[in-house]
Amino acid sequence: MLPDLDNDTPRFMLKRIIQTQPQVSPLAPQISKHEETEEAGLEPPSKRISSTVEMQLPDLVPEDTSMTTFYMTRKKKKFSISEFERAADKRLPQNQTQSTLDSTSLARSLHMSLGSLIPPDTVEKRGLLRRPKNHKAIDMEAFEGGVEQNMLQRKAQNYLVDSQTASMIRRATLMSDAEIMMSNTELFVQPQFGEQSQHRLSALEPQLPESKISAQGSKTFDAAHEEARLVGLVSNVGTHEGRTQRYSEKNLIVDYEHVGRMTPVSPKTFVSQGEDHQSHFHQSDPMEQFSVPEEVVAGTTEHHANARYSEQLEKKLTKTPESQITKAQDARVETEMTASEEEEVAEGSVEHLDSPKAEPEIARSFGAGSLSRHSHAFSSQYFEKSGTKSFKKAVEQAGELEDRTVTGEVEEMEEETTDDEAEIEEPESQEISMNTPAFIHAAAYKPLSSLSTPHPAESAVPKFPLQPLRAKPVPKSSGVSRRKMHEPELASSLIKKVFSHYVKMPVARDAFRIVKKCSERYFRQLSNDLEAYTQHAGRKTVEVADLEVLMRRQGLVTDKMPLHVLIERHLPLEYRKLLIPVAVSGNKIIPCK
Amino acid sequence: MMKRTAPRSTLRKIIKKHKPQLRLAANADLLVHLNFLLFLHRLAEEARTNAFESKSKIIKPEHAIAAAKLRTINNF
Repeated sequence: MLPDLDNDTPRFMLKRIIQTQPQVSPLAPQISKHEETEEAGLEPPSKRISSTVEMQLPDLVPEDTSMTTFYMTRKKKKFSISEFERAADKRLPQNQTQSTLDSTSLARSLHMSLGSLIPPDTVEKRGLLRRPKNHKAIDMEAFEGGVEQNMLQRKAQNYLVDSQTASMIRRATLMSDAEIMMSNTELFVQPQFGEQSQHRLSALEPQLPESKISAQGSKTFDAAHEEARLVGLVSNVGTHEGRTQRYSEKNLIVDYEHVGRMTPVSPKTFVSQGEDHQSHFHQSDPMEQFSVPEEVVAGTTEHHANARYSEQLEKKLTKTPESQITKAQDARVETEMTASEEEEVAEGSVEHLDSPKAEPEIARSFGAGSLSRHSHAFSSQYFEKSGTKSFKKAVEQAGELEDRTVTGEVEEMEEETTDDEAEIEEPESQEISMNTPAFIHAAAYKPLSSLSTPHPAESAVPKFPLQPLRAKPVPKSSGVSRRKMHEPELASSLIKKVFSHYVKMPVARDAFRIVKKCSERYFRQLSNDLEAYTQHAGRKTVEVADLEVLMRRQGLVTDKMPLHVLIERHLPLEYRKLLIPVAVSGNKIIPCK
Repeated sequence: MMKRTAPRSTLRKIIKKHKPQLRLAANADLLVHLNFLLFLHRLAEEARTNAFESKSKIIKPEHAIAAAKLRTINNF
């Protein structure tokens, strides 16, 4: 009576099982196991059968418990390949014992099939049970928290208590500011900078007599620069100065880390901080008098500017005994230059050092803050311009701002930056280099002024100079340039494809470059706008509604043209399904709301 | 008319780079992609018009620059 698995109904199979219940036998469990594993693969589990088998199992269990424990270990060693096996092991011994004893092939096959049926069911159940999907939320939060903890740990290791408390205070102040973010998503920025600063330090120290100062200066440059960025405007000036006093060269790392942590701070915020730091490191003991201007300068400088300039500064300063002063000057000037032709600027700044040197040092201290801020914004504007031109402007501005106090200059700087936009645009347009900077600046600043909140404008400004800075450490990390990690960019091929499709005409290669730059700027503005809208709604997460508001403001979505129509026209089907809820039968809506 | 998949993770990274404290909803990045497509669309239309006006068969950089200057991003 062979079991006809295809034609027999479960009822019949169960009947057979009940009638021919085999006795438990400890003999030859392996053979049955072999057969069972084979059967398991072949036969699809029948739920009814498995349930009935399960019902039977309790009967068998008491009989086989002693045996099962014995055999489970043996079986596990041999066949514990998968969870299935393990699950099966628990039930199989019971079935196997039955099957082995069963003389009839039917019973054996039945039990084997039954045994195979049960584990799949349980395995299936286990397989269906999935861990709750909280990947993104957990990852981001944990990541940010982990980064902060990392920062804290690092600080605890290397820094004085003062620096730590200072950083804590700063962080606390920063937290109060909405736009300042605590977690640094770009992890590699810090270590690279640390490496850079350390390398620079080590290289410079043996070379120059003032290498200490310069090295420290460079370190603080980065640190101060970064830190300055991080620290908000909130009452930082006073605390900075006090802290800078405390900060010896050792504290450079603190600043550096702070800065690395908080990249997207408005220029103003870091100006105050940068002033303190920069001045501090630039002039250790003898330069303390110039600490304020130094700090200011440092604050304004961009990371990369700091690195490059500090290096160049150090090299060139060795010549003059007044290098300290010039360094401060250079740092200030160099920071102003930022993203634009770095080398040219650096050299130009060094050369120009002599001219600004004449400026009163004291005045510098006052003007440095505003100057650095202004120059920073200025330099960011001129990121594509040749260094000399912007440098001259910065020098001019420096002269203007010299007499003003740092704090007072904060608001003034803002006004000046906006005022200077008009000035900047003209010389920019005259430049021989690409016209894109002109219109980019024009376009960049128009929305900046149009936006009510000054912070997005501020954050937009330093962001751009940041990018070239980040590019520098890239080769250090690995041979393969991981551009996407350091600077997430949209795939140029995607831009090309989409643009060519929309324009329906052959496009020149240079035109593509322009389109790419436009899209980069577009994303910057987009993020500013989205942040403004989200904050206006009192949220921290950009929602679909915010994007709709953005599109409505852009005139894409009108009363005649709803969002859904646009989605249907331009997005592929898969995304349409995700975005547009569709009602299907059974009172369901996809995607579920 | 082959459409490419939107680079969702890249978009998120870009926005995160600019505004680290800002979060994105689940499908918001798709709308960001849509916005980007429409932006390119507008830019392309303008560039094409410029090229036609200068009786050129291809889009030259100056056409693109003029188009970009005209469409200062948030405004229409």
